[in-house]
Amino acid sequence: MKFWTRREFGRLTGAALLTALNQPKARGQAKARVVVIGGGIGGATVARYLAVSATAIEVTLVEPRQSYTTCFFSNLYLAGLRPFKSLSHGYEALAKQYGITVIHESAEAIHPAAKTVALNNGSKLSYDRLVVAPGIAFRDRALRGYDEAAMEIMPHAWNAGPQTSLLRQQLESMEDGGLFVIVVPPNPFRCPPAPYERASLIASYFQRSKPKAKILILDSKDSFNAQDLFQDAWNRHYPGMIEWLPAQFTGGVTAIDAKTRSVITEGATFKAAVANVIPAQMAGRLVQQAGLANQSGWCPVDPVTFESALQPGVHLVGDAIIGGDMPKSAFCANSQAKACAFAIAADLTGSARFPAHLFNTCYTYLAPDDAFSNAISFKPVDGKLKSVISFVSKVEESSEVRRQAARAAEGWYDAFTHDVFG
Amino acid sequence: MRPVARSAIATGLVLLVSQSGAAAGADQGAQLAATCASCHRLDGGGTGIPSIIRLGEERLTNALLAYRASESPNHIMHAIALSLSDEEIASVARYVAAQGK
Ligand SMILES: Cc1cc2nc3c(=O)[nH]c(=O)nc-3n(C[C@H](O)[C@H](O)[C@H](O)COP(=O)(O)OP(=O)(O)OC[C@H]3O[C@@H](n4cnc5c(N)ncnc54)[C@H](O)[C@@H]3O)c2cc1C
Repeated sequence: MKFWTRREFGRLTGAALLTALNQPKARGQAKARVVVIGGGIGGATVARYLAVSATAIEVTLVEPRQSYTTCFFSNLYLAGLRPFKSLSHGYEALAKQYGITVIHESAEAIHPAAKTVALNNGSKLSYDRLVVAPGIAFRDRALRGYDEAAMEIMPHAWNAGPQTSLLRQQLESMEDGGLFVIVVPPNPFRCPPAPYERASLIASYFQRSKPKAKILILDSKDSFNAQDLFQDAWNRHYPGMIEWLPAQFTGGVTAIDAKTRSVITEGATFKAAVANVIPAQMAGRLVQQAGLANQSGWCPVDPVTFESALQPGVHLVGDAIIGGDMPKSAFCANSQAKACAFAIAADLTGSARFPAHLFNTCYTYLAPDDAFSNAISFKPVDGKLKSVISFVSKVEESSEVRRQAARAAEGWYDAFTHDVFG
Repeated sequence: MRPVARSAIATGLVLLVSQSGAAAGADQGAQLAATCASCHRLDGGGTGIPSIIRLGEERLTNALLAYRASESPNHIMHAIALSLSDEEIASVARYVAAQGK
């Protein structure tokens, strides 16, 4: 940082002064460097918004995969309503149109004191600011018998990719009359309505192709979000097909037996034809090693800048953070990412700060032509992200309103993935 | 501090404030429009969700004010508009309308 002498300061006026103050604080050096780890929804959005809003910042995105597969809309794929390819998004636009350096490696370690990141190819990146958005990891030994080998037999399909296609193959080859079991984890987990949306859309597939099949949801909880909307739709669209068992009825799922494809609860064993086991979650592995997560397994952050409460100079967004009232959704990750990008740009270049607006908007499918939506806005209150305004569709809405929501959802997917990946 | 130096600094600051005021308005519009971009494509493309870049500043402002006033016909836009002040509505409408030109 350069200190102005009084004479120099006096000579600068107007535009010159503004330009001078908008330079990166590290004057005389190269551009300020921001490294973003994780090219999912949160990370890609931070990278893109930093690149557009601050030319004085050099942005590097570290992501091992060549393309990203969205979890959102993957339930439509599982129901045979969308090709797998349509869920996939590459990084070409971020690299070519926005000048972001995209490195397809995974980050192995973060050294906050040295401000470096070690990659698995042995190289090292230095940063002025680091953003970490690694999504979720599954808790070890949360469910007895559910290990990596068991995942290949009873997929989680909670990180979209090969797991999702595996579950689709199993559903396609299942016999009519088979039992499909979904195991729902305890809170907090990625996308609270998604297990129930999955049950709804797979029921629509069964209705078309395997009308005698049944779906059993074994929950770790006693109630769930928008339960009235889901249960109303299950009665209307798929009477008798979906059964939901809360933890208070089963005592909770305690173990998995992959050999017999069984799910074991306190009181009974359920043998499935196909099982989707969604395990308990925590923030992605990298942050656990880097000292960015607390005992809960998730990362505490400042609700305005999304800077880590544990390591200065490191910001986190998306599913990995303790988001207060903000659910773990792609929409929230994207909203947090914008606030975080503008805060970093303001810190590094002196650009103006404005109060951030944080939202969650979600379209949830109950059937291919029946979707509901919700919208919530959030504000930092006493260091936590609180929901301040919240609206959700109502049970008694007309089928035309629901059809329109299903159409709007398609438009949302298109606009949203453009916003994230360019 | 000598009077000459003081007045030089003062001139600089006055200019800074007025210029950053103008730049800031544009920035605020851009930052707020980032919220629109989560659902509305700002490049004119897209289906299913109405395009907003060619509505013009006045219609955008009026639409946001109407959405803020009532939950019907769209609770998503109601929630968004409720979180915006009059000044924010003005600056986001100005910015988004400029994208359509
Ligand atoms: C079935 C389902 C349906 C859903 N539907 C919706 C919906 O309709 N709407 C909605 O808003 N949300 C939905 N979600 C939730 C949404 O997918 C997540 O909340 C969102 O992806 C979170 O973004 P993120 O950036 O935190 O994590 P991710 O998108 O998972 O991105 C994390 C990225 O980090 C990378 N990474 C991890 N570790 C490293 C490392 N060490 N080095 C480098 N890179 C690393 C990963 O490869 C990945 O690309 C759904 C989820 C599921 C499972």
